[in-house]
Amino acid sequence: MTYLEIAHATKSFGSLRALDDVSLGAAKGCFLTLLGPSGCGKTTLLRSIAGLQGLDSGEIRIEGRTAGEGGSRAVMVFQDYALFPHMDVRRNISYGLVLRKENKSLIERKVEETLSYLGIAGLGDRLPSQLSGGQQQRVALARALIVEPEVLLLDEPLSNLDAKLRLGIRSELKRIQQDLGVTTVYVTHDQAEALALSDLVAVMERGKVVQVGTPRDIYFRPAGAFVADFVGTANLFDALVLEAGEREGRLSAWGRIWRVGGGLPESLAGHNALFCARPESLGLGDPGDPDSIPGVIEQKMFEGSHVRYWVDTGAFTFVVDEAASLSDYELKTPVSVGFRSAAPHVVSTRGSAGGRDE
Amino acid sequence: MLREPGLLAAIAVLWGALLLFVLYPALRVALYPKVHDYGAILSDPRYGRALVHSLTMLGLSTASATGLGLLFALATTRRDLPLRRLFSAVSLLPLFSPPFVVAFGYIMLFGRNGLVTHGIFGVRTNILGWNGLWLAQTVSFFPVAAVAIRDVLETIPPSFERAARNLGASRLRVFTTVTLPLASGGIVSAALLVAILVLADFGNPILIAGDYSVLATEAWLRVQGWADVRGAAALSFVLMLPSLLLFIAQRAWAKGKAYVTIGGKASSMETEPAARPAKVFLVAACSAVSLLVILIYASLAAGSLVEGWGFDWRPTLRWFTGLGTQWIDLLHSLLFSLFAAFGSALLAMASAYLVRERSMPFARAADAIAMLPAALPGIFIGIGYSIAFNRPPLDLYGTALVIALALGAWNLSTAYQTGLESLKQVSPTIGEAASNLGATTMRIFRDIHLPLMKGPFASAFFVGFIRSITTLSVIVFLQTASNTVATFSIMNLVNDGFYGKASALSVALLALAFAAVGSGRLALGRDTRSLA
Repeated sequence: MTYLEIAHATKSFGSLRALDDVSLGAAKGCFLTLLGPSGCGKTTLLRSIAGLQGLDSGEIRIEGRTAGEGGSRAVMVFQDYALFPHMDVRRNISYGLVLRKENKSLIERKVEETLSYLGIAGLGDRLPSQLSGGQQQRVALARALIVEPEVLLLDEPLSNLDAKLRLGIRSELKRIQQDLGVTTVYVTHDQAEALALSDLVAVMERGKVVQVGTPRDIYFRPAGAFVADFVGTANLFDALVLEAGEREGRLSAWGRIWRVGGGLPESLAGHNALFCARPESLGLGDPGDPDSIPGVIEQKMFEGSHVRYWVDTGAFTFVVDEAASLSDYELKTPVSVGFRSAAPHVVSTRGSAGGRDE
Repeated sequence: MLREPGLLAAIAVLWGALLLFVLYPALRVALYPKVHDYGAILSDPRYGRALVHSLTMLGLSTASATGLGLLFALATTRRDLPLRRLFSAVSLLPLFSPPFVVAFGYIMLFGRNGLVTHGIFGVRTNILGWNGLWLAQTVSFFPVAAVAIRDVLETIPPSFERAARNLGASRLRVFTTVTLPLASGGIVSAALLVAILVLADFGNPILIAGDYSVLATEAWLRVQGWADVRGAAALSFVLMLPSLLLFIAQRAWAKGKAYVTIGGKASSMETEPAARPAKVFLVAACSAVSLLVILIYASLAAGSLVEGWGFDWRPTLRWFTGLGTQWIDLLHSLLFSLFAAFGSALLAMASAYLVRERSMPFARAADAIAMLPAALPGIFIGIGYSIAFNRPPLDLYGTALVIALALGAWNLSTAYQTGLESLKQVSPTIGEAASNLGATTMRIFRDIHLPLMKGPFASAFFVGFIRSITTLSVIVFLQTASNTVATFSIMNLVNDGFYGKASALSVALLALAFAAVGSGRLALGRDTRSLA
């Protein structure tokens, strides 16, 4: 059942259409991420769910009731944390409960519980200015969680933290979200965060949702060139489908025949299509392999777990990841690019033969 | 907004206050003189001369005060310079004193019975004139430039100079190609600020300009000598025009030219060490000026403790014990300034809040009116109040209230800017966070904005108090026998040659001003200034 429901949300700022007929739904307990470049409307949508701004048309409902009416039930953690600078941590956290006129002893008990739940038990008397970035982040989260929101809204909560801390807080955020089972909407432009945290990712572009799906779907089966390109690294190329068999298929591109795995839709045979292959779906092999595309190593980068190679095939440069323990090609080495397993994902069928660079 | 009667009432009161106490007196000055009053002013060579004098001093004193300000700013931002704390303290001193204190000290040092001229060199010279005025204005106003330029220099990350050095530039080249260009916006802005003060200066010229009359003093003499209020208003209006232009230029410049330094975290890197000749030059120049400033204040203090300055050096306390009605004047200064500082800080904070946070009707107009007094010379405001509130229903002429109100109006802009700046530092998301948790706008005002404005309110209050208690120009047109304030009384004592009493009263006034500075620092020191 849809718990959070966004129906035909539309919002303009002057001539800029920030939200263009956006419809989305999330089940209770779902971790939904709005992913997109800056200016795509993701923050506008989040602020609308929070009730901080109205829509021009459309509706946002939480459990069937319109959001923003009669006290917000969607509570936001702001990108800059927005802690009240003149209140200590305890007063910051208790603010929402004080507004609800809860009784004093209950507030005190809940504040202490929340403080220790988030691992900031000793910091109750500090002012926000006396906290580190990570601690401020926890206080901001505590202030939102303590009121037991129906939907938790997170606006790029990790963007102000340094890289190391970011990874730590990221996994903690996931743990807390699963532990409390709170329905969460998370805004980010960082595809790695989106893939790692979410149950559901909605990729946005220029005010529209262009794809909704699980992280795996979004990554391996992007609905368009924009998603393919924005989420991770993609080898996007056009090819003519010669054969689309159950076991194997054959593509024709750059004047060569390329043998790929099975699973291409049979209807594609004889048609051009735009394909997406992730770097780790490709592999390097012997330059003489007749079923692969030959090329030379143009550039390489050692990244610890894997090595990333840029392979120049004349018409197209492939990005290929190989496990670092398996290969170590020198620059200018002749190789061939082949498919490791299944067929590449078909992004669209309107392509014409020939390659296109990223 | 319509559902909040309190807010509506506040906006109405605010608009009423801005129109009645700022805009109305200003318009009265412009409209009070008849066309032939302006004609008479423009055709009288006496006032043509005064205008030329005003503009001459504007050029001279602005240039010298800004140059000196730059030297002090450089000297006090270089951590490796000896005596920088002394320079920094000395450059603050004139900021908290009445503007004419420097002129008075100058008379004590170089006048007919001057310590230096008569006491050491045994000469009696006539020092009244443009050169004395130039020196007094330079010393009075260089601190303003120093503070403004220092603020800009401090925003330039030391890493820029490091980078230039690392690329092989000489220290001089780093200064001329990196530091100076980056500070140029701030220097021009500081010069414009100083120019407004020089133009409006009344205290220094009334004491030492002698026959070298300027517009501000001519306006005063017009009333004193001929009881010609219309003529004085016309002169004030003529004086206000260049001031307004300078002010508009300053605002536009500050807005457009502010360098936003690109780069990540503010570094705590040490500044590049200055070249040796540059160090020697800075220390020598600043020491000389500091010595002069210290001498000026020391001679005031000494003058209050000797029988007869320049001829009878026996110590005495009789100037202090002899202050009679002058104590009342000091009390007037204290009371009027307290009222003015409190009122202007309150009105300013309310304006800043309503303009910035609550999108009140005609917010831009309210903003312009609240900023207007910063562009108006003190005598302009003074004369405005003397002709705006001299008939029913608001006949306040000769009352204490009209003085306090004029002082309050004069302080409004600085207080308003303080409020606005501090609100700008409060991220808008803070209010949103409270609203998102269920707080009403009234609740957000009470829980968030009100507490956050305590600091700026206090700061505006102390600044307003110090400005009010030390001003002469605002109050000269509003003085009557029953409500004289200390600065006015000092001016009269100096003009009549009662230097002992004048210095005793100056010392008492300075003590009051510095006590305010001290308590302000105490009160604000505890206030956490990090509002972001």
